[in-house]
Amino acid sequence: MTALALSSSPRRRWRLPGTATGWFTGWFLVMWIGVVVLPLLIISAFSFFSMRQYQIVYDPTFATWTSLVETGRWVVVLRTIRFAVSVTFLEILVAFPFALWLAKGCRSAAVRAGVITLLTIPFFIDASSRIIVWRSILGTNGVVNNLLVGSGLIDKPLTWLLYSDFSVSFGMFGSYFPTAVFPIFLTLSLIDDDLIKASADLGASRLQTLRHVILPLAMPGIVGGIVFTFVPLMAAWIEPQLLGGGQVNLLGQSIQSALTNLNYPVAAALSTIVIAVLVLMLAALVVSLRGRFKMSSLFQSLDR
Amino acid sequence: MTPAVTSVAETNAIPPRGRKMQRPLLDRIAEASGWNVVAIALGTIALALIYGPLIWLGVMSFSAEPLSGKPYPLTFAHYGLLFSNDKWHAPFVKSVVLGLVVALACMIVGTFLARALVRLKRPGGVLFVALLPLFVPGLTIGAALFIFLRTTLDLRLGMWSLFIGHMVWAFPFALLLILIVTIRFDVKLIQAAEDLGAKPLRCFLDIELPLLMPGISGAGIFSFLLSFNELLRSTFLRGSETTMPVYNWAMASAQQSQVPIVFSLSTLILAVTLPLMGGLFFMLFARK
Repeated sequence: MTALALSSSPRRRWRLPGTATGWFTGWFLVMWIGVVVLPLLIISAFSFFSMRQYQIVYDPTFATWTSLVETGRWVVVLRTIRFAVSVTFLEILVAFPFALWLAKGCRSAAVRAGVITLLTIPFFIDASSRIIVWRSILGTNGVVNNLLVGSGLIDKPLTWLLYSDFSVSFGMFGSYFPTAVFPIFLTLSLIDDDLIKASADLGASRLQTLRHVILPLAMPGIVGGIVFTFVPLMAAWIEPQLLGGGQVNLLGQSIQSALTNLNYPVAAALSTIVIAVLVLMLAALVVSLRGRFKMSSLFQSLDR
Repeated sequence: MTPAVTSVAETNAIPPRGRKMQRPLLDRIAEASGWNVVAIALGTIALALIYGPLIWLGVMSFSAEPLSGKPYPLTFAHYGLLFSNDKWHAPFVKSVVLGLVVALACMIVGTFLARALVRLKRPGGVLFVALLPLFVPGLTIGAALFIFLRTTLDLRLGMWSLFIGHMVWAFPFALLLILIVTIRFDVKLIQAAEDLGAKPLRCFLDIELPLLMPGISGAGIFSFLLSFNELLRSTFLRGSETTMPVYNWAMASAQQSQVPIVFSLSTLILAVTLPLMGGLFFMLFARK
């Protein structure tokens, strides 16, 4: 709360010494646009070039895009969208009630800090060792099958547990759960408790409060959660590679294999699809944030 | 929903019991008292999906057959192999050095940018550009940087391109951490020092920097860990270098006999980093 009060006072900005602010921000923006925005623009442009004898022909053409349809790669795109949509839907379905509990229901600050810690740690863990261990859990000789066969529930091991759509979705769900929870939690904890109380005092049922007070205020967080889950899922690579066992071919693997085969335009076109999804989603996020964004409020939930 | 809310709702529940029964089904479901339990159960299952495999990884690193589902018979053989095998030494050292350089760069750039951001009239635009890589999937930015640096600029990839890729990944996190402390920083301290005749640089070094240090050092540690474990961008930008995650990935995806060693190595790394991160994060989030 103090952070909010401070930054809203206009004196803060101009009374401080201007040590390296203006020129530094400018320098940073130039460098950052050079290593983030420019490469994304260039790879999109590459999808309109073609290859001849391993040389790029800088001559705009739609050949790559039409070849995506002719070679049947669009099926991969559709399959990836199907995975991304279903896993994102599940993530939000689980993340919203959990975030609501974490932001409003959880009474103990220590429990909340502990849960946030548990949600943060996975960002810092080597992905391949974390994912490959699923093989020994879901495989035909894995833990789950051993338990099921051992308890007599089934006669022979389930084969669809590993190297299937199921195992890939399963691995994805764990990987992107924290990124779905965090934005929702952040916006939910910014909702003033008094608003919820007022709604109840005015006779609203819990469902009405949820629909007319909590959901609209949490919308930027929900959109943020979808962005942080759906977009990386469109380019997921580790999970399908390690848990798909060659059965589940998604966009990420197509991009990777096109690059390894030096087929740059195809890799660029497939990446451009991901970038287009990213831009659309970011636009939705910006619209949902419009006029509601305050940098200082970003961390308010942690200040309490 | 909070207990406070339910109590208010209950005291204000004017409709008599008979009418309550006729309320829509969804309303009655929402009014049910088990929602906290449902939310906690869902979250616990999701967290178990993240941490279960990590625990299992540790268990299986002692198993004779790590890719089977049985931990027994237990053995230290893989740890023995790990210490007699030196193939992972070079990638390990490379990852540590790269992580340190990335961490230092993130700390310096992050501090200056975070200080600048709280001083800008409209920080939204700059912050958006700075945080943009958070939204871009690792594979996409990796492929984009590869095409830009290797194909368009025709440069030879190596540690320097890994550095760029890791900066793009770690810097937004570092910036967020440092922003927490720069936003909390009390401007009156600088004003007081100025009134007492301190020059801007003195103010920065003696007053501002020590107070920002918790955020800056946290940013350093997290950037190191992010860089140390980075895989997606590294696979495209490594040139002929091999970092630790790239080595792990090669072992894991090729289903080679080295997999047991990867299990042991990952377990050791986790045994060091998990308590460290747990403690740091807990202090960061639990602090009032």
